[in-house]
Amino acid sequence: MADFVQLIINGLAIGSVYALAAIGFVIVYSATGVVNFAAGQFVMFGTFAGVATLVNAQLPWPFAYGAALLIMALFGALFFVSVYLPLRRGSIVTIIIGTVAVSITMQNAALLSFGSWPFRLPSPVEDSAVSLGGAIISLHALAVVAVTAVMVAGLWLLFNRTSVGVGMRAVAQDVQAARLMGLKVNRLLAFSWILAAVLAGVAGLMLGPMWFADVNMGDPIALKAFAATIIGGFGSLPGAIVGGLFVGLSEVLGASYVSSAYKDLISFGIMIAFLLVRPQGVFGEKIQDRG
Amino acid sequence: MLSCNDLVVAHGDIVALQGVTLQVEAGETVALIGANGAGKTTLLHAISGLNRVSSGDIRFERRSIAGWPTDARVSAGIAQAPEGRRIFPGLSVEENLTLATVSWRRWRQSIAADLDRVFGLFPRLKERRRQLGWSLSGGEQQMLAIGRALMARPKLLLLDEPSLGLAPRLAEEVYEQVRCIGETGLTILVVEQNTVLALSVADRAYVLETGRIVLEGPADELKHNARVREAYLGR
Ligand SMILES: Nc1ncnc2c1ncn2[C@@H]1O[C@H](COP(=O)(O)OP(=O)(O)O)[C@@H](O)[C@H]1O
Ligand SMILES: [Mg+2]
Repeated sequence: MADFVQLIINGLAIGSVYALAAIGFVIVYSATGVVNFAAGQFVMFGTFAGVATLVNAQLPWPFAYGAALLIMALFGALFFVSVYLPLRRGSIVTIIIGTVAVSITMQNAALLSFGSWPFRLPSPVEDSAVSLGGAIISLHALAVVAVTAVMVAGLWLLFNRTSVGVGMRAVAQDVQAARLMGLKVNRLLAFSWILAAVLAGVAGLMLGPMWFADVNMGDPIALKAFAATIIGGFGSLPGAIVGGLFVGLSEVLGASYVSSAYKDLISFGIMIAFLLVRPQGVFGEKIQDRG
Repeated sequence: MLSCNDLVVAHGDIVALQGVTLQVEAGETVALIGANGAGKTTLLHAISGLNRVSSGDIRFERRSIAGWPTDARVSAGIAQAPEGRRIFPGLSVEENLTLATVSWRRWRQSIAADLDRVFGLFPRLKERRRQLGWSLSGGEQQMLAIGRALMARPKLLLLDEPSLGLAPRLAEEVYEQVRCIGETGLTILVVEQNTVLALSVADRAYVLETGRIVLEGPADELKHNARVREAYLGR
């Protein structure tokens, strides 16, 4: 039982990271229609932004995190200007090839700057643990779940209680009508990319201490985030959260109770089952009209 | 208030407007009538900035706005209820209305008076304020589209076929409200295929055929014009 609680928390922690990556992916997809194949590399950049500010520059925690997220926000803006804007009028294939190319470029940029040797990204609650009903639970894992919960609540407020968030939903539903309402559509699209990059940054900073910071870490994250959005429902934010947590849990529980060789097989098997049986995922996509 | 001078607009190779000249004075309700494909929507999109103008000029309150982005035109006072209503399906009625205030609303400024005015015109929207846009009937969606345009506090209201797809009684109801809105002094340019309804609320009207203005004059005169009666009134 104690083991089980521990596994659940660890699964939720890793699932939270997948959920944040998937949320960023969904925000960009619904606002801009772009399937961002570089989403996994965004998280990798987040981890390495932490390596740069925390390990290399040795900044104190709050500044290091702040600086890393600022770097990610700037990166999101740069991505909007240099990748999205030039490609947006292109065909869907052009855009897909474009984001795949950027994904490879990002991986190589990280390789050139940081080398292939993995880093250890520390956590502010390093080596602390709490005991919960006999189970020893890492404080970092609990913090990851708590931070994710706060982020999700913040996103809910953003999308339901602020004019920027409601504007983003409007742009996702009908761009032309959004323009007619006087919305500054380009600014909202830029903000979508910045938000996705910052969410990926948070995911990367939290993932670093759980994995090694490795320049190749982006691909498995992208696959898991993909699986999460397909299971949860493509384009759905609640779906991204549920799907992410589900993939994280199945990975950790599968590794422990079945075999670590098959841990990924379980989540991908379920993803394929969803594609075959219920392609709209758990939550489906409610709104398909785009302008 | 609004003047279009020799406006040419093309969609790729198709020239949809071939030199349209049209005036709307402050306080007027002007109708632009024309068959399907005449170029009515193309003109309204050009005025709102969704279509680029190949040549000619658009002036609003004496300023040339042809190069302005859409949001600047909305801020200047041009709001549109587009063809097909284009309600945001996943936003509630109230969110649809609130969204349209971004052009003028300052931080924490109240929009209660504007909401009340729209709910006064269209009480059914008030009953449905928490419902999502997609769940409204066609008539309610049209009311929401007009109400949403009013939330922008426009000086010029552009209406693109507000009767489209509505049962005759509902269409008349919508036009009754259009008349009320016009009587408050708001300037309206309404585009229609339904000539009878459009001429019933308009002071003046233009007739558009394949991208050209072929007739213009006071609405009462056009109602009795032989060519209009034959081509558009079916008599
Ligand atoms: N996006 C577009 N691309 C190409 N042609 C278009 C487009 N929109 C309208 N047209 C063409 O322009 C002409 C005018 O269309 P439109 O302005 O929609 O007419 P109306 O609103 O009077 O029915 C039509 O011949 C139509 O086929
Ligand atoms: Mg039209």
